[in-house]
Amino acid sequence: MIPFAQYLQGLASNGDLVTLEDPIDVPPNVVAAEALRASGPALRYERADGVDLASGTLSGPDQMQCRESRPWSRLALGLGLDPEASLVSVLETIAGLGPAGGDAEPTYAGQAASHTVDSVQELRLPQATDDVWSSLTLGVASVSTAEGSHWGPIYGSVISDDKLRVRTPAALSSLLDDDGTLSIALGVPPAALAATYLLAVTRRIEVPVQACGVADDVPLVPTNGGLVPSATELVVETTVADRRPDFQSDRREAWEHGVSSTPLSLSVERVIATDDPVIPFSPVERPLADDLQLAGLATAATLYRRVNDYWGISPVEWVLLPAEAELGICFVATDVLYAGFEWQLTNLLFTFSSLFDTVVVVDEDVSPRDLGRVLGDIWVKAHPSRDWIFSEPSAPAAKRPRYRQDGTTGARLYVNAAWDPRWEDSYIAPRVSFEQSFPKSVHDAARKTWTDCHDTVLDDDRNGS
Amino acid sequence: MVTDSFREYLQLLEDADDLVSISELVSWDLEASAVTTLANRNDGEVPIFESVEETAIDAALVGDPYRGPQCRPWEFLARSFGLPDVRSGTAYYEAVVDRLRSPREPRVVDRDSAACKEAVHVGTEVDLLSIPWPYIHQGDGGRYSNLHTVVAPDPETQWGHWSNHRMMLHDDALASLLFLAGEQVPNRYYYEYEPRDEPMPVAVVIGAEPAVQCSTEMWIPTGRSEAAFAGGLKEDPVDLVPCETSDLFVPATAELVIEGRVLPNERLDEGPFGDYFGYMNGPRRSMPVLAVDAITHRPEPRVPFCVEGTGVGYGQNSSSTLQTAAAGPDATLGLQAAGFDVSLAVPWRFTSRTVWVIATDRPYPGYLHELANFIFTTWGMLHIDFFVFVDADVDPLNPRAVLTAIALESDPDADFHQFGVERMPKVPLNIYQTPDEKGSADVGTSKAKTAKAYIDATTDRPTANGSEDEALRARAQEVLVDAGLSPESFDLLGDEGGESE
Repeated sequence: MIPFAQYLQGLASNGDLVTLEDPIDVPPNVVAAEALRASGPALRYERADGVDLASGTLSGPDQMQCRESRPWSRLALGLGLDPEASLVSVLETIAGLGPAGGDAEPTYAGQAASHTVDSVQELRLPQATDDVWSSLTLGVASVSTAEGSHWGPIYGSVISDDKLRVRTPAALSSLLDDDGTLSIALGVPPAALAATYLLAVTRRIEVPVQACGVADDVPLVPTNGGLVPSATELVVETTVADRRPDFQSDRREAWEHGVSSTPLSLSVERVIATDDPVIPFSPVERPLADDLQLAGLATAATLYRRVNDYWGISPVEWVLLPAEAELGICFVATDVLYAGFEWQLTNLLFTFSSLFDTVVVVDEDVSPRDLGRVLGDIWVKAHPSRDWIFSEPSAPAAKRPRYRQDGTTGARLYVNAAWDPRWEDSYIAPRVSFEQSFPKSVHDAARKTWTDCHDTVLDDDRNGS
Repeated sequence: MVTDSFREYLQLLEDADDLVSISELVSWDLEASAVTTLANRNDGEVPIFESVEETAIDAALVGDPYRGPQCRPWEFLARSFGLPDVRSGTAYYEAVVDRLRSPREPRVVDRDSAACKEAVHVGTEVDLLSIPWPYIHQGDGGRYSNLHTVVAPDPETQWGHWSNHRMMLHDDALASLLFLAGEQVPNRYYYEYEPRDEPMPVAVVIGAEPAVQCSTEMWIPTGRSEAAFAGGLKEDPVDLVPCETSDLFVPATAELVIEGRVLPNERLDEGPFGDYFGYMNGPRRSMPVLAVDAITHRPEPRVPFCVEGTGVGYGQNSSSTLQTAAAGPDATLGLQAAGFDVSLAVPWRFTSRTVWVIATDRPYPGYLHELANFIFTTWGMLHIDFFVFVDADVDPLNPRAVLTAIALESDPDADFHQFGVERMPKVPLNIYQTPDEKGSADVGTSKAKTAKAYIDATTDRPTANGSEDEALRARAQEVLVDAGLSPESFDLLGDEGGESE
């Protein structure tokens, strides 16, 4: 388990985090969004007034701009993996944080947060330029029941010194007892946040955290609301003031695209923090935002596990819901086992997720780090009529896209950009690439010629391709 | 400074450390191409191979000279047109469109002052194989010239029609040209010259100045001259000089000119070749024959070539860059001139000749259908399969914004429109048809037809996120640059900054 503060140190030592020092005359949300837009590093905002903040910690480079990019590499580090870990390793690790089938062995530790904060507003959480109130994002809500503690993502606004308006999954709100006690953990270990998103997108919030794989990895500590990670930077203990508050917010954290949420008005009972707390935030609804990346990875982890559990074998190489497509398209690389398998696979994906109604199928040898190739193959390998397959127009609209929100039915689409298994080998066009278009002897001569002119290492050498 | 020759353009690159000179002996047989592939993949400098093995004349090869930086592919061409301060893609498009609105007729110069005439070989002196044509990919049908301008007769303009058709070398005086019916010059050959049993004179111009190479990639309206648009592009007339063996005119500052005739009713093998799709395409087919009558060149000519197929995905090469930097502004102007409310027409970043993105208003119902119909039946017929329409406030040069629009706004039920399913012609370079479907039609297109489609990724709703405060964004970018991030990644930093999207 890697505590959040330690995780930031790891990012910094990898050269993937830059610290901004006070005074910063631009709202953190704006700076965070610009850093994401530029595929920049994670940022830490050192502030004399208010808690330190961190952004971009769960995001990564724009795959539309960067060759060989791994937007999941920061989270990989936070999950205890090598930052160079494959997408599949990250997906499998995330999936392992979920319900463990009775095998979890939770551990308990002392509370890292021991310093009492007088008011939530004292934290000076970031505020979007067009918002009235500051926001808390990337929070973990904990609610206790007889079965244990249940976690769900929480997102909302700081209304006053002691009042919050938040949104949580409806499944979590429904577990609140008459006392309505709920704790919010900010700055949790990345594994805990990933587990929380996973439980939300898989609709397994009813499974107590003590029965989830995350409990094996993340030591827990009790609070008034329920168990939270002991290494949490800041805990806000609350009670529910109003279960049906009259407020509207158009802004949504990304998990809300696929999960039904409810508003709550909360009274803050106590705020405790570590001595030098640092809290992550996400510029919600901005491109490549942290919550978007996390929701995409948690959903992909679920789909990857489910489709590969389905046929008795594991034909799917990877599943990706890139933040660049705002979770509205699912990309899948697979061995097309037989003619028509791609139809089965895509419809299975539609069954397991209501986020998207477009799926793109690519060959198993395509790397998830090569989204550029995928975004070429869609148009080049797929026949414009035969391989763009539309269902009959009787499917419900997916939840993420913005069209057809009136409840009417319509078609789903999958694009088959994989080779047809019925084709003869001679029909398969070889790719143009350094590896395939030149013999080994020419590779060596070309590399020598190029490196003799340069001091730098070739990118493809660095990446081992 | 505006460059008036390919050699000046190379000097411009060298002065900015964007050219790397390779003096050690390099083979034309895959090696020069492999080094260029590495340069393209790693966003490295443009390589010039000063010493090429087995070359009868002292010529140099230049690998993908027009490839620009992956984050700003138009940058080198902007510099060559005297637009060094144009940082963003949108600003580049606006500047080029503005120049194309004022074409300038070319100027004919005396042959004695034409650099391309410094060495002249005619008749028995012609030796096509004296030039170090590269063998570009393993599996290609032969050695190719593929970054040039084919000048052919045009009854409507004395300056001829300029276009690009790859050329496969066969011996010291013969080559085959990829002529695909549906394009203007092949049409003239297949449906006018060949039925009259008449050879068609052509000149293949290699190493022309950047404005010429750019206008070669443009769809110029019938009756207008690419030469005049090239002059508009550089705000100065292009110098032309008469050919030695025909009535055609060629750019006077070119590195190398091959004059000849496309013979009627003669065919030679052509292909396979790894072309712009990023895949080797075949099968080998028969194509018209170029019989060479004269070769003229500068001393120590610089012979550019393109490693086709490396400009897909994240990669850039000359072909993909010319599509973005030349064909895009030209198409934008063409659609605006045709009366459409188009703000930008841009090739898709990851496969530039198959998909285009068009940012447009929708002034009336059915407008997108009319727009798609216009472009599919005029300039988008053979190569382009898809158009993606986005709102006028979406930047088509930002592929993430386009992908987001497709993901969130394109309803599979209502916004994917297939035109003429299995009714449209297609170039046989594609990889989604079987060899049987491609067949060997006499005029070069595939035997089987295909479909074309457009995707409506526009929205009827106001922008969800509202407008962003550019002054705040710019200040945030300054904060990040002050903290050590590269200014190249940002788009609002003025002269100090860059453009990432």
